[in-house]
Amino acid sequence: MAEQLSPSHVQRWVDGFVDTVVEKSDYLTDLDRRSGDGDFGTNMVTALRRSREAMAGAEATAAGTLFQIMSETFLTHSGGTSGPLFGMWFRDFGKVGADAGGFTLAMLDEATRKGWTTVTRLGSASVGDRTMVDAIAPASDALTAAVGAGSGLEEGLRAAASAAREGAEETSELVGRRGRTSYVGASALGIPDPGAVTIALFYRAAQEAVGA
Amino acid sequence: MRRQFTNAPGDVVSEALEGFAAAWPRHVRLHDDPAYVTRADPARDKVAVVSGGGSGHEPLHVGFVGTGMLDAAVPGAVFASPTAVQIRAASRAVDTGRGVLHVVKNYTGDVLNFRIAGELLADEGVDSEFVLVEDDLATDTGDGEGPGRRGTAAVVAVEKVCGAAAERGADLAELAALGRRVAAQSRTLSVALAAGAHPGQSQPSFELPGDEVEFGVGIHGERARERRAFGPTSELVPQMVSPLVEALGLGRGERVIAIVNGLGATHDLELYGVFREVERVLGRAGIDIARTLVGSYVTSLDMAGCSVTLVRADDEVLELWDAPAATPALTW
Repeated sequence: MAEQLSPSHVQRWVDGFVDTVVEKSDYLTDLDRRSGDGDFGTNMVTALRRSREAMAGAEATAAGTLFQIMSETFLTHSGGTSGPLFGMWFRDFGKVGADAGGFTLAMLDEATRKGWTTVTRLGSASVGDRTMVDAIAPASDALTAAVGAGSGLEEGLRAAASAAREGAEETSELVGRRGRTSYVGASALGIPDPGAVTIALFYRAAQEAVGA
Repeated sequence: MRRQFTNAPGDVVSEALEGFAAAWPRHVRLHDDPAYVTRADPARDKVAVVSGGGSGHEPLHVGFVGTGMLDAAVPGAVFASPTAVQIRAASRAVDTGRGVLHVVKNYTGDVLNFRIAGELLADEGVDSEFVLVEDDLATDTGDGEGPGRRGTAAVVAVEKVCGAAAERGADLAELAALGRRVAAQSRTLSVALAAGAHPGQSQPSFELPGDEVEFGVGIHGERARERRAFGPTSELVPQMVSPLVEALGLGRGERVIAIVNGLGATHDLELYGVFREVERVLGRAGIDIARTLVGSYVTSLDMAGCSVTLVRADDEVLELWDAPAATPALTW
């Protein structure tokens, strides 16, 4: 059992994440259309495809290299608001893994906490606002608990992935409560937030990368 | 049915930038990948003033690059924010080591990408400050909820005043405080007579009955919250000016800079007629129009309409307003 994610694990993580989001882009776009927020799926796919091109020519020497590339690509190419926020999210993983040969569970916990702070600060979103934060927060709590309990990498990632998925699913109940525009509130009940779903896919890909 | 002079509509921004740079070789340089515009003759030792935002508001912002105003401007796609990487590249290019002032209109995408750019720059050791322009009274909910007042034509005053102060050697903190003061003392209201059409589209973004105006529009072709009866200028303009006076709490004897701005398809002939009414309304209230700007500076593609901006002015602001500027869109 790997106790840290090596650069090749990170490669599998990122590849798996990109493939899954591209594969699910119609679904994510549909979620976005039904919750009334724009063109999330297509923006993500454009940025992810460009990230894949940029990563293909790069040599991943440190654990954080691929996340640095993803960050730069998202901040270069994606418009709107969720694209840049994902760019800053990846950036914290790139920073934490900048000089490291691998990600330990404690480093993933640190990156998640930093990413949470960054996205909250820049996006002015808190838990319960039906955004990506609603998946990040439970993943972060699960990672912190796993590190505190001395869990192994696989176990910790499984807990994070599961918590992020539950957090994303629960966003489908947040619409009515937040009382956004009434036509969206009525029709979006039962529809999860695509940003939160994408974060859940991010942790699931991490879990799968270590074979957990 | 609207038609525009374009080749492929998707190339309209890049082709306009190429044409703009070719037309003003003594003033500006266009940089590519990512796209931004800088002064042709870069300043050596001063705080850099940088602004940007979606295209479709020309001459804003690239038209204000030059001596006495902006060091760089960062254009996005039509009505879309520039990216953080564009803003970082422009800011890096013009930083002389004394820091960069970002002048940002209050829109979610612009605010987010400029804030991100500020964080990216901080990691590289480049100091930056952020001045938010939020003058549009039509979106003032007064309760702090929602995105708040949009940034519109007052951005010209903030860029002019901060640009002049930067030229005189003000430091970054002084400039940020000055910009925030001017922005806080500015309010705008806009009225549209007809919507604009996006490049490549033959239909305007909304239809307006001939006997109504869209009251309180922004600069992105969107509808306002309210429609009011169309009427002569003498009836429309007081509805725009009086709320501004009230919102700024302007009293008799106070001085303002008054900006009458065309939204893209309104002729100077009409704008001067509007200014005449602005002067009458303010004259009755005993408010002194210390300086005036009339013309199309912050547009909304080819929207027919105009905005009125009042900026409360003191000696310092007026002196900086009067300082020399040499830009494609504003020179004195």
